[in-house]
Amino acid sequence: MKKIKFYIPFLALLILSSCEEVVQVDLEESEPRLVIEASIIWLKGTSGMEQRIILTETSPFYDEEVIPVENAQVKISSVNGEIFDFSYSQQGNYINTGFDPQLNEIYELEIIYNDQVYTATETLLPVVPIDYVEQTESGGFAGDEIEVKAYYTDPAETEDYYLFKFFNDDVSLEFYEDEFTNGNQIFGYYSDEDIEENDVIQIEIQGISKSYYDYLFILRSQVGSNDGGPFETMPATVKGNIVNRTNPDNYPLGYFRLSEADSTSYTVQ
Amino acid sequence: MKYRYLAFLLISLFLYYPINAQELFTLNGVVTDASSNETLIGVNLIIPEAKTGVVTNDYGYYSIKLPQGVYEIEITYLGYRSIIETVQLDTDKKLDFQLSEASENLEEVVITSDIEGLNIRKPEMSVNKLSISTIQKLPVVFGEVDVVKSLLLLPGVSNAGEGSSGFNVRGGAVDQNLILLDEATIYNSSHLFGLFSVFNPDAIKDLKLYKGGIPAKYGGRVSSVLDIYQRDGNSKEFKMHGGIGAISSRLLAEGPIVKDKGSFLVAGRSSYAHLFLKLTDNENSAYFYDLNTKLSYNLDDRNKLLLSGYFGRDVFNISQNFENTYGNAVLNLRWNHIFSDNIFTNLSVIYSDYYYGLNLNFVGFNWDSGIKNLNIKYDFNHYINDNLQLKYGIQNTYYEFNPGEIEPIDEDSGINYFKLNNKYAFENGIYISAEQKLSDKFSAEYGLRLSNFFRLGQDEINIYENNNPVEYDPERDIYREADILETLQSSRGDIIETFTNLEPRIAVSYALNDDQSFKASYNRMTQYLHLISNTSSPTPLDVWAPSGDFIKPQKLDQYAIGYFRNFRNNNYSLEVESFYKNIDNRIDYIDGANLIANNAIERVVLNGEARAYGLELLLRKNKGRFTGWLGYTLSRSEQRTPGRTSIEPGINNGDWYRTNYDKTHDLSMTGSYDLNKKWQLNANFIFQTGLATTYPTAQYDYEGITIPVYGERNGDRLPEYHRLDLSATYNPNIGKDRKFESYWNFGIYNVYNRQNAYSISFRENADTGQNEAVRLSLFGIIPSITYNFKF
Repeated sequence: MKKIKFYIPFLALLILSSCEEVVQVDLEESEPRLVIEASIIWLKGTSGMEQRIILTETSPFYDEEVIPVENAQVKISSVNGEIFDFSYSQQGNYINTGFDPQLNEIYELEIIYNDQVYTATETLLPVVPIDYVEQTESGGFAGDEIEVKAYYTDPAETEDYYLFKFFNDDVSLEFYEDEFTNGNQIFGYYSDEDIEENDVIQIEIQGISKSYYDYLFILRSQVGSNDGGPFETMPATVKGNIVNRTNPDNYPLGYFRLSEADSTSYTVQ
Repeated sequence: MKYRYLAFLLISLFLYYPINAQELFTLNGVVTDASSNETLIGVNLIIPEAKTGVVTNDYGYYSIKLPQGVYEIEITYLGYRSIIETVQLDTDKKLDFQLSEASENLEEVVITSDIEGLNIRKPEMSVNKLSISTIQKLPVVFGEVDVVKSLLLLPGVSNAGEGSSGFNVRGGAVDQNLILLDEATIYNSSHLFGLFSVFNPDAIKDLKLYKGGIPAKYGGRVSSVLDIYQRDGNSKEFKMHGGIGAISSRLLAEGPIVKDKGSFLVAGRSSYAHLFLKLTDNENSAYFYDLNTKLSYNLDDRNKLLLSGYFGRDVFNISQNFENTYGNAVLNLRWNHIFSDNIFTNLSVIYSDYYYGLNLNFVGFNWDSGIKNLNIKYDFNHYINDNLQLKYGIQNTYYEFNPGEIEPIDEDSGINYFKLNNKYAFENGIYISAEQKLSDKFSAEYGLRLSNFFRLGQDEINIYENNNPVEYDPERDIYREADILETLQSSRGDIIETFTNLEPRIAVSYALNDDQSFKASYNRMTQYLHLISNTSSPTPLDVWAPSGDFIKPQKLDQYAIGYFRNFRNNNYSLEVESFYKNIDNRIDYIDGANLIANNAIERVVLNGEARAYGLELLLRKNKGRFTGWLGYTLSRSEQRTPGRTSIEPGINNGDWYRTNYDKTHDLSMTGSYDLNKKWQLNANFIFQTGLATTYPTAQYDYEGITIPVYGERNGDRLPEYHRLDLSATYNPNIGKDRKFESYWNFGIYNVYNRQNAYSISFRENADTGQNEAVRLSLFGIIPSITYNFKF
């Protein structure tokens, strides 16, 4: 998850004597908290029947292991009464293979874990397709990286929000609103110094809601806080749309959302 | 009600005159530098027989009333030779004095009161003065003499770390400092995001920082006033000054337009274009420049015109992809007029402009934003008698805010044109204040400022449900932007919101004897402008916003007490002060607030409060071969934003949290030693508590990315900050050819190469996948050489 970080690179560039060093910092540990990654994605041209929801717990900051949550009951119901149960497979993954995605339909997520009930409601949002992909050599902050631009045409009549995923070795998330680009053909872009010729980059566009866009915005600022220094914003608690009905103070992390998606792959020239 | 009482008190004090009034004569005039005719600010004129004295004002003017008689007047000024003049006063008299710089005529090194002396009897407190000659000696990073960085060595002044912009006074925010350059407001005091300040030291005559006890003359910011005066220029002979440094070069020319009547000054400074960039290909550049100009002309004994200008820019250019330009421009025309022998007036017409421009080719748009203001001030200094001086005046400012304009670069850009609504406002201030000697021991300075702020109409005014632009979602427990119900039009001629505030100011001093005094002060101040910034330290991109329907004016109450002492024959001085201040309506930002290109900033801010308290100690050695000071501050600076109703949590659960510039301990020692006529050695040592920061307490994976969970806001601290700097000044041709003078400055910043943490950040190691903490240090050991000349 990257962002255009204008200031920190400047300072680091400006000061020839600047120096980075890995140091030992002892950290306090907070109580584990439930993390729900409930992203229902319906790729254009597929049935969208196979879906999964991932439940984990937060872990101490220096730990490498992800702590899976195994004993939860997970289900999604639609407004017209369909119920989709998700069953545990492994590593905190809960699977349903008979999901029935309908655009603009409202769905409700319900999770019962440790006798606490967690719920959230969301709409499955449509998205426009990726029109084409283009490559430039002038990406990145210094303008010397390969940049991949995926063009799409924003519908003029609606207020739209987009999430782009670029899979290279890692995944890079970019998200956009149409406030300044409404009705235009515009692009999602990704650049990295590690992009090389013949890399195959998988690109996905997803339709998201304003509140999920806002959530990602805060989430990104938290990851951005990794930079530290005078031009960073204050850390925040990233609260999603899933509410603990039994004990609201023990709120979960993560988000429940449903998005239509379009995907393409691009080979770097 | 209490204001009425206060007004009564003021009036009765003004009406107080000595009853046994003898016939008094007025002595007035101007004190100037003998070699350049430059007016001197803050010169002490002491008349021991009459047990009285006067200090020259910002324009070098003094006036005093005395009974008929023959008086000896002692005229003393830091860095200058004191003179004693005998004056026979049997009629009103205009008498100008000229002082010569101490070092110029001395064969051996005997520096008299080289450092700013302390005035025991004046009620003025919480004020720091630094002369440019003091500032020029201090060791600094890259050898770049820097006005703002020098202030950081004083107690009560700090910043949010090396390389952060602006400065913080007594726990106040950067945008709460009123920075005046020749009376014109400067909106951003930093070059290169904070590495250097925008003031060219060659062009500056004097500066004064008010941390508390702020006189009624000043208004519009709540934390401090930094009043900087540019030099007028030499009206005796043509002179050039210059310097070549590691970062920038400077050149200044000054001279008479009409000898002894009028002068000009032009000073330019520029950094080297590609110097800083590690990326050495020529497509990138980063540099700054500034230009100071001044014209001054004495029309006659009673009238003087001054025209000042400043223009500064920072320019960044990264391979055609990204271009960024920002800076201040000010123009000020002033007219000094002496109405009678005891009324000095100054009328200023000031235009001030801050511009920020961004050109993002790779996204396809240009961005422009800024603030402009036109300011008219008329200030009176009225010398009633030797015990009472009045200052009164009126100030009007018209503001135009451009929060931003987005323009597509070309037709294929994909970005639509968008203009954030311009905002307009009008600010008035009217004030009166008195400096009065109540008895031999008691003096007071008290005054009242009445400020008004009129928010004027704009193209679009948003209407929200229940007049509430920030919505609280109790289910998700988050704040978010409320929907705009409708948008109204209003014209610039309409007043859509009015604020009126009375701001009492009072400072008193009680002198125990000639060497010791206690002082106390209280001031209330109001600030109608807010810098919209949710980063730890402001960036040049941050926009200023006026108070209005939703964002309320910041209001400060500050209390300070102090003990002041000169000892060992004025060789040493000690200042101990304690302060408490509280600021209402300090805005804070909801989580995830997007401030960039936000046309309705009221939808992401909540009104909170800030407070700070502390103890400051300043011990100076003022005379001798060794001079210097030790400054120490123990303080706390916090803010909080409680929920608006009982179910709302507010920001950070409504709890107090430390500000980004809070430092519990802040110690600085600075010393200067005159080894011989040619060599002078200087050193600084600084020790500070590490800045407040927030460390993660847990982590989780979401959508393939590791997300940290943070602990208590600003609940952690970076490691302690400390460093030692040394410098030496070498003056090779002192006492030789007077026509050409030069000196070298050799410096070493951070001598023991302490890797002070600029930040501690956390990241996933790309190879091992393990999370780790990374310390970024900006300045290790940095040697520097600067060459300066004058002819």
